[in-house]
Amino acid sequence: MRARDVLSYSFSAIKLRKLRAGLTTLGVVIGIAAIVALLSISQGLQSTITAQLERGFATDTLIVTAGGGGGFGMGGGLGGGGDSGFQLLVSDTQTINGLPNVDSSVAIMQRVVNNVSVGGTNKTGTVTGVDFAGYLDIYGDTFKASNGTIPIPPANDSIVVGKQVVDPRLNGTTIAGVNDPIGFTWINATARPPTTITFSGHISAVLNEIGSFGVGGPSDSGVYVPISQAQILFETNECDMIIVKLKSSDQAVIDNASSAIKNAFSGEVSVISATAVLGIISSIFSVIELFLGGIAAISLVVAGIGIMNIMIVSLMERTREIGILKALGTKSRTVLLIFLSEAVIIGVIGGAIGIGLGWVLANVVAIVFRGGGAFAGNQAAVNGGMTITPILTPTVFLGAMAFGIGVSVIFALYPAWRASKLKPVDALRYE
Amino acid sequence: METIVEAVELKKTYLLGKVPVNALDGVNLKVDSGDFLAILGPSGSGKSTLLNLIGALDKPTGGKLMIEGTDISTLNDNQLTDLRRRVGFVFQFFNLIPRFTARQNVELSMSIADVGKSERIKRANSLLETVGLKDRMEHKPAELSGGEQQRVAIARALANDPKFLLMDEPTGNIDSKTAMEIMGLIKGLNEGNGVTVIMVTHDQRLASQSKKTVMMLDGSIVQETVN
Repeated sequence: MRARDVLSYSFSAIKLRKLRAGLTTLGVVIGIAAIVALLSISQGLQSTITAQLERGFATDTLIVTAGGGGGFGMGGGLGGGGDSGFQLLVSDTQTINGLPNVDSSVAIMQRVVNNVSVGGTNKTGTVTGVDFAGYLDIYGDTFKASNGTIPIPPANDSIVVGKQVVDPRLNGTTIAGVNDPIGFTWINATARPPTTITFSGHISAVLNEIGSFGVGGPSDSGVYVPISQAQILFETNECDMIIVKLKSSDQAVIDNASSAIKNAFSGEVSVISATAVLGIISSIFSVIELFLGGIAAISLVVAGIGIMNIMIVSLMERTREIGILKALGTKSRTVLLIFLSEAVIIGVIGGAIGIGLGWVLANVVAIVFRGGGAFAGNQAAVNGGMTITPILTPTVFLGAMAFGIGVSVIFALYPAWRASKLKPVDALRYE
Repeated sequence: METIVEAVELKKTYLLGKVPVNALDGVNLKVDSGDFLAILGPSGSGKSTLLNLIGALDKPTGGKLMIEGTDISTLNDNQLTDLRRRVGFVFQFFNLIPRFTARQNVELSMSIADVGKSERIKRANSLLETVGLKDRMEHKPAELSGGEQQRVAIARALANDPKFLLMDEPTGNIDSKTAMEIMGLIKGLNEGNGVTVIMVTHDQRLASQSKKTVMMLDGSIVQETVN
């Protein structure tokens, strides 16, 4: 029998049992849709996080924090386990600037404060003390004013704010603008007795909308004061981190500069590079994808058992038909092919619909996520609505298709083999 | 005349549970090209078993069965399959594929023998015309009478230009009037087109229409008559 005739024969057999074949196909559809939806959302999420991180944390920058342990935590900033009592000081930038491969560096001091009062509203926020000139040098793309100008050198009461501070919903409805007053209250809980420090200034510049979060980089909800003021206000010379800009983003430069910085502080600091963070994120996502894919694969295996079941039932019903085919001179191999191609047809149709459905599902989830669940964190580095665009890579597309067909064929092998082994005389006699 | 089928001391033993049953117990038979042989006998006499062996649907357990000079017990499964394509089988219960139309059923045996689509349609049309079903080609078996279904089966059996037609009670499931018409068709094919026919029946009247009749009983041929 020619390949085309085998296919059309199989197709006619499937068409005869539409409901049954439809339900079997549905099993494959659900399995494939689950795989495609989960993987494309997870890849979309990874790409969103990676892209945002790359914007907020350029590959030619390093982050230096106190503590040799090298602990890394997202959100609340980076913090090592500073057990040794080592303090990273604002003035340590001078040491770092003197090292080879270092272009510039900037110290950052962050405090969560109560009552950021602006335009008649009060809320909790994060105040970042930073050298505006140095910050601008490293984050020229995002530390950019949409209104006003970033003052260099800044006056003592100059404050630069992220877009969301004056436009809380990021929809153009502003509650304050350039030159409007802004103030905040910080409680120094380490002083005995705890002291309350109040600061009043005015808005010098409002940043462009950034839309991403960065490690150390500017954010839409940030309130930036000159580092010299921060040192006075927060009554310390200790900074939370130093962002280092390197002369190039070569891996060798990153490695050399990292160890040079560590050595300069006798191993009491942690140095994290963007590539390392991206590497960690990528490996975390590989595990997540494997896990999600594995769960979805189980549903496909269940579908495969469904295929096997329907094939065995179909084999019983069609024993006589197989006898006829064999009596007319059909080779055993052809009978095997007829049954396998029925499975392939189910796999292809199920796979195609499943990929489409999975893609739609992923987009629906993304839309729901975008609409309802924006992380409106106002104190951490994570802020703003995170937009996930599901990504369907050719690997996932082809892999899902191949997996759907593969499972269908594997589970059809046994029934097909049994069909091909039937003896014509016995099959014809079967009632 | 060329000998197409020759059975020498042909034996077939089944195991019925654990009891061996000698369905064929040393059959000697010779069929020449152009013959019309009727195999007559009561049920259980081994006539269907003999037909299945000649049609290469089953393998003998003893003796020799030569089809066109080849002993079929020496053939492997693939060779037996090839042989089946050169044999036209007609069954008592028609054995058409229910979801296919008359024409598609006739086409099927050609499609199995790798005949191209356009050639298949052409030949199926002409065969169905020969068996008198010119106007019923697009009907499915369920829409055809028993006699019509058997005509489709005969057309299907003839599709690959077989060396001989094997018929297992071809009129066993048809009313006697239609049975006579079918017999007329078979006789016409034999006399007019020179098709060799081997037919199993238990109906003496039908057997008398053939050129030669053999009588079977308990797995052996007990009588041979030339009509």
